[in-house]
Amino acid sequence: MLADYCNGSMDPRLREELDGHLSRCEPCMAFTNTFRATCDGTRKLRETIEYAIPDEVRERLEAFVRSSALKYPEKMREYRDQIERDRREKVADLVGAAAAGKLSSATALLVESHCAACPDCSGYIDASRKTGTPPAGDPPEGIQSHLIALMQALPPGEEFFLA
Amino acid sequence: MSAERWKDDEVLLESLRKGDPGAVVELLRLYQGKIFNLAMSILKNESDAEEATQDVFMTVIRKVGTFQGNSAFYSWIYRICVNTCLMRLRGKRRNETVSIEEFMPVFTDEGMHASPMDDWSKEVERDALNEELGRMIRKFTEELSEKYRVVFVLSDVEGLSNEEAAKVLGLTVPAIKSRLHRARLYLREQLSRYLREGRAE
Repeated sequence: MLADYCNGSMDPRLREELDGHLSRCEPCMAFTNTFRATCDGTRKLRETIEYAIPDEVRERLEAFVRSSALKYPEKMREYRDQIERDRREKVADLVGAAAAGKLSSATALLVESHCAACPDCSGYIDASRKTGTPPAGDPPEGIQSHLIALMQALPPGEEFFLA
Repeated sequence: MSAERWKDDEVLLESLRKGDPGAVVELLRLYQGKIFNLAMSILKNESDAEEATQDVFMTVIRKVGTFQGNSAFYSWIYRICVNTCLMRLRGKRRNETVSIEEFMPVFTDEGMHASPMDDWSKEVERDALNEELGRMIRKFTEELSEKYRVVFVLSDVEGLSNEEAAKVLGLTVPAIKSRLHRARLYLREQLSRYLREGRAE
């Protein structure tokens, strides 16, 4: 009903009644105004929304569509494994950079604030820093997924290495 | 949705059915952003959203021959996207989402608003606050459970009508209206609290 009132599609007699009440009742008026402002806010959001898709996601998507993964679903597994390998490599690079003290300042900040809240990652990164190189093999699954999320939190296009 | 969009989709649909290779590239160009963002709003992380997006395009391309035209092409694509994403959510550990009840308006026995009512509507018309409002809406939307978030995204963000959203989600129109309304009430309350806190500084 409120939605109809706000977009003008309410029955005129009902609207008149509601207008009457609103003119006498401050809380209801405030509620209706703020409700309407909320709906306007989301409408404006719709007008300005950019359908941003990260470059590498877009490229992988295009490669996927052109690849035989479409015709041969069994190749999906291969394709996904490749993506997984790419991600693991990136995580290893990140940990290596952290170990060598070569993170960009934005990345270092992200890593620091995450590690402050996450003992597992903190322990893993500290151990790497002590030896100067990351431990052999992949990090445990939990740490792996935290570090992936961390990298995805970087602004698009930003590298995590110091220039 | 606009009439031009309808026409573009008709042409695209025909080319896809004919197996025109350029059509697939065009399909991607038109929809990859929207599908990825819709997937992100449901799944909330890039890896899942990316895989879901691949699944969606694969399904669309392979099933385009069976599309009956009972609904608009774009709403069929959105439906595939929503189903793909919701299936992924099943069996996954859900992220913490807020309980919407906490944000519904409360009334006294006499039917009056029980909580204090600030009217901040005029203030947010100023441009600077507008952008911030947009950001806050996106943030609060993320915290909603999928049940409400998906309806809100399809209706208020993607601009689908109640009828179209109902078809995409397999719900009745009253169910759509109800969830949409509650999502909006939730947002209104969240924005009120946020703006009130800001003013108190």
